[in-house]
Amino acid sequence: MAKEQMMTGCRAAAEGAKAAEVEVICSYPIRPYTAIMMELSKMVANGELNAEFVHGEGEHAQVSVVLGACASGARAFTGSSGVGVTYAMEVYSPMAGGRYPAQMSIADRTLDPPGDFGSEHTDAMSTRDQGWLLGWACSPQEVYDNTLIAYRVGEDHRVMLPQMVCQDGYFISHIPDKVTLGDQSQVKEFLPPYRPIGPLSTTHPVSHGPQIRPDQGAPMDAMRAQTFLAVPKVIEEATADFNRIFGRNYDPFVEQYKLEDAEIAFFIQGAHANTCRSSVDRLRSQGVKAGMARLRWVRPWPTHQLANALGHVKAVGVIETSTSYGGAMRGGNLIHELRASLYDLDERPLVTSFMGGLGGETIWPKDFDYMAKVLLQAVKEKKIRTYVQWLGM
Amino acid sequence: MAKELPGYGTINVPKDREVPFGAVTPAPVCTQDLFQTSNWRMKRPVKEDEKCTRCLVCYMSCPDACWEYKEAEDEMYWIANFCKGCQICIQECPTGALTAAPELDFPDGVVRLEKPF
Repeated sequence: MAKEQMMTGCRAAAEGAKAAEVEVICSYPIRPYTAIMMELSKMVANGELNAEFVHGEGEHAQVSVVLGACASGARAFTGSSGVGVTYAMEVYSPMAGGRYPAQMSIADRTLDPPGDFGSEHTDAMSTRDQGWLLGWACSPQEVYDNTLIAYRVGEDHRVMLPQMVCQDGYFISHIPDKVTLGDQSQVKEFLPPYRPIGPLSTTHPVSHGPQIRPDQGAPMDAMRAQTFLAVPKVIEEATADFNRIFGRNYDPFVEQYKLEDAEIAFFIQGAHANTCRSSVDRLRSQGVKAGMARLRWVRPWPTHQLANALGHVKAVGVIETSTSYGGAMRGGNLIHELRASLYDLDERPLVTSFMGGLGGETIWPKDFDYMAKVLLQAVKEKKIRTYVQWLGM
Repeated sequence: MAKELPGYGTINVPKDREVPFGAVTPAPVCTQDLFQTSNWRMKRPVKEDEKCTRCLVCYMSCPDACWEYKEAEDEMYWIANFCKGCQICIQECPTGALTAAPELDFPDGVVRLEKPF
């Protein structure tokens, strides 16, 4: 049986890729995700992992290399952070449109200007409309687990889509935590080999990425959208199998913490959920019925699951760790999608948002106390005063 | 939850509009009829067969595999439906056997077609 070890999120991502026996890896340095590639290059150099390790000349090349690898039949792995994620932007849609289920491991970093090393989700959140599967982990353990779950979901022939497995830079990527790695028999049972749709073949050669006509564009888009209707079921199956084989207890889409009788709830994704959870406990010890819903997948967005989880709550505070300048609520993006998800309920919660954890700032317990105060006030007044507040500003 | 929420609906792509999964098709791409790329061609290569030595430079240089050598006829064959008119073959031909002719000069020129394909 596998034993518990201390490791960072970056090491956990590398261990996940190693367990998945990735065959092609493409790197390009940018912190904080670089540590994933440092770990993987050691594994390849030491002969622990039999993979082709390619160093790209940039992130655009990285994603292009794994596209080619994936098309030819290899399980492929890459990753990036911050402006590296956005530099590769052009390749995301062809990657998803061509149905190449490679994986990109993201350790979030603030976008420029000017350079800031801190974590912020805007980098990967900016890619959310490109057709990838996208979700955040909140611990190194979950990084390892999501690496395997995402490959399983993405490579399923009902899906065949690339995946972004995200973790907060530094908070998760560089702070060691307890991780239990699966043993190879568990991984083998959970993750079948990758079966490409048009692998390299001298007897059945295929063309990838041909030019299509304008009248073929709409059906292609519709077929990609159709796939996203099928993804939730595949995620549910994969999570159930993962929980059974590895002995975990993940909700497929939304971690629901003390929500059953909650009056106010925090809606959050990523690392700060850990402080949020302990803040819910502290608030409860003070008599405040608080709860937390933590998003595990941004794409596909779990509309009905969130309506079910949060519909009965009186006020929800969305903690935005990314920006959407000029958006409907003038804060981040999660509030837009959450409000849309709750709109059709007969009685819906009041929903406001808080900009926190930007530029790598910590969201402290006192911040959660403050947010709880705002939410309780909204419940009392039966209205929210503003769509968004910037914590500490 | 008291009320049933709307669903995502269904998407039914008509059979005649379906596109191959991921647009992966048999290679080379000019061997199938789905993705034709000739509708923006302004000029096409015209071959003067006496000058052609069958050196296959056009075949090698075409990015869309639009030149084919037919062994039985001992002839270079141009695949019109996929030639984008880039004229690389014309530039590369070592014997000057290829020249660029405007599409308007041809009754089947793509600029004259009512439908692009």
